[in-house]
Amino acid sequence: MSPDQQAPLLQVNKISWSAEKRPILQHIQFSIQPGSFVGLIGPNGAGKSSLMRCLYGVNRPDQGEILFRGKDIWRCSPKENARKIAVILQEQSEHLGLSVYEVVALALTPHKTLFEWDNAEDHQRILLVLQEHDLLPFKQRLFAHLSGGEKQRVMLARAMLQGPELLIMDEPTNHLDVHYQLEVLQKVRRQVRAGQLTVLASFHDLNLAAAFCDQIIVLQHGKITAHGSPSEVLTETMISEVFQTCAWVDQHPLDKHPRITYGYHHA
Amino acid sequence: MAIIMPRQTSTYLLICVLAVMSVFYSLSFGAIDISFSTLINWFTQSLGFNSHVDVIEARIIEELRLPRLILAFLAGAGLSLAGAVLQMVTRNPLADPYLFGISSGASFGAVLIIALLSGYGALWLDQDLMQLGITGGAFIGSALSVVLVLAFAGNGLQIERMLLAGVAVSFMFAAATSLVLYQIDAQAVSALLFWTMGSFTRANWDNLGMPVFIVLLCLVLFLGFSRQMRAALAGDENARSLGVEIHRLRISMLLLSSLMTAVLVANSGGIGFVGLMIPHIIRRVMLRFSRFFFFSCALFGGCFMVWIDVLARTLMDDQELPIGIITAAIGSFFFLLVLRQRTRRT
Repeated sequence: MSPDQQAPLLQVNKISWSAEKRPILQHIQFSIQPGSFVGLIGPNGAGKSSLMRCLYGVNRPDQGEILFRGKDIWRCSPKENARKIAVILQEQSEHLGLSVYEVVALALTPHKTLFEWDNAEDHQRILLVLQEHDLLPFKQRLFAHLSGGEKQRVMLARAMLQGPELLIMDEPTNHLDVHYQLEVLQKVRRQVRAGQLTVLASFHDLNLAAAFCDQIIVLQHGKITAHGSPSEVLTETMISEVFQTCAWVDQHPLDKHPRITYGYHHA
Repeated sequence: MAIIMPRQTSTYLLICVLAVMSVFYSLSFGAIDISFSTLINWFTQSLGFNSHVDVIEARIIEELRLPRLILAFLAGAGLSLAGAVLQMVTRNPLADPYLFGISSGASFGAVLIIALLSGYGALWLDQDLMQLGITGGAFIGSALSVVLVLAFAGNGLQIERMLLAGVAVSFMFAAATSLVLYQIDAQAVSALLFWTMGSFTRANWDNLGMPVFIVLLCLVLFLGFSRQMRAALAGDENARSLGVEIHRLRISMLLLSSLMTAVLVANSGGIGFVGLMIPHIIRRVMLRFSRFFFFSCALFGGCFMVWIDVLARTLMDDQELPIGIITAAIGSFFFLLVLRQRTRRT
């Protein structure tokens, strides 16, 4: 199945965005096919988070348009967008006084009208999603008191309950140990493989990006400098040019994706 | 600090019934003691049953204590609701209409209108219009202080900055209020006490309509927006990604709370710390923001204020204490407790 045969889920058409008159993003153009796992990489300050904020309705682009299934997301209500796009932010705020159960239950916000309470069925759905993410024992605990890994699991549970077509994750493995890094990404990957989800995630760890992404977009100084499959994009030349780091790229011994080895002491 | 945990609805309902009964019982306290059996007799009589009550006692209950009780209950309920909403939309656990300068803004607006009207308009304005003007002035003052606090605190909703801005705005309006009061009357001490410390002595059946209406309206609206306000607790970007138009929500909820505070201040002066304490205690006891959260804030805030008013009337033998003295005494202690907990956690 070639990705070109399908209409794109998300289409970003030449968007530019600037903060306090300083251009951060310039003429960004790419599209995401349904059922794919797309990684966004680039050095610190390249504009990865800013770009993602444009996609989930925080940064309004100065130019260009963002189409979700052909509809401009900036012409839809935030509520309508939230039913289709879920987001896991990089840094989690305190969630002042909310319990794990309540944080997950927030996922129903875009699906409810003003005076609509959670009914028995919603309660069951929340419990089910808590169970799927091994969070049942925590459900009454305060979100603020959880560890980084537990928080990330709660946010993933919330995003899944939101029932999105597209999941946006900003540095999903930040603050996580190796075990949780793999667990979170494998969970998301399974959903993508099952055809239930499309993912756009930003990464600092190039090996994780290589292992989990179908497509990788490289962002540098607010512009896209490369876009393709991991083996096309993750080359020694790209890494040395974009990240100014010396690295060797070969093949992972078990899977076929690229493996990056950094020259820690050999510049 | 979690004393009772009404996880089951039946326990919760029982506590609600007990609270309402305690409010009824509070009618017996005052300059003249009215026995509980007399209260029961009065109650059954007003329900249309045949029972005997002394005429004077019945009049004390109906014309003095009952309207006062209702106003105290509304003030407690309304200020607790306002505090709960402020805490949620500004994500500030130390928010309170009094500490944020909203009450003193309202006092200033009200006093300014009184000063202007007593000079020019009092002759041809009737009492209702006068009250409406005072309430309107209070609302403009309270809305102005919200705008000022948000402007001084700057972006980012930092807890400490908002608190400092609130205290500054509060002092500013308090000074302006005193100035206006002393302009009208150099012996305006009792009026000053009313506007800064609060009292329910002005309660009568004629001016209860507005507070009843506004507190009920706000309760209903807050219930409707409770899910969105919970999302606001998760941070602006999170709320936005959940489809909540966070800025619009914050502004409208802040304006509603200041409107409610203004109406209450126009009728009972500035009473502090209730809005800080009650939501915290409810959250502690109920453990999570259930759908009963706002309702509980209103009910228990109301009961709390009724009993504080009983204290204010009976603590000293022949004199009534301003209500704000008692709430501030309990509340500032509570404030320090919350502050200590915050610093320990970070």
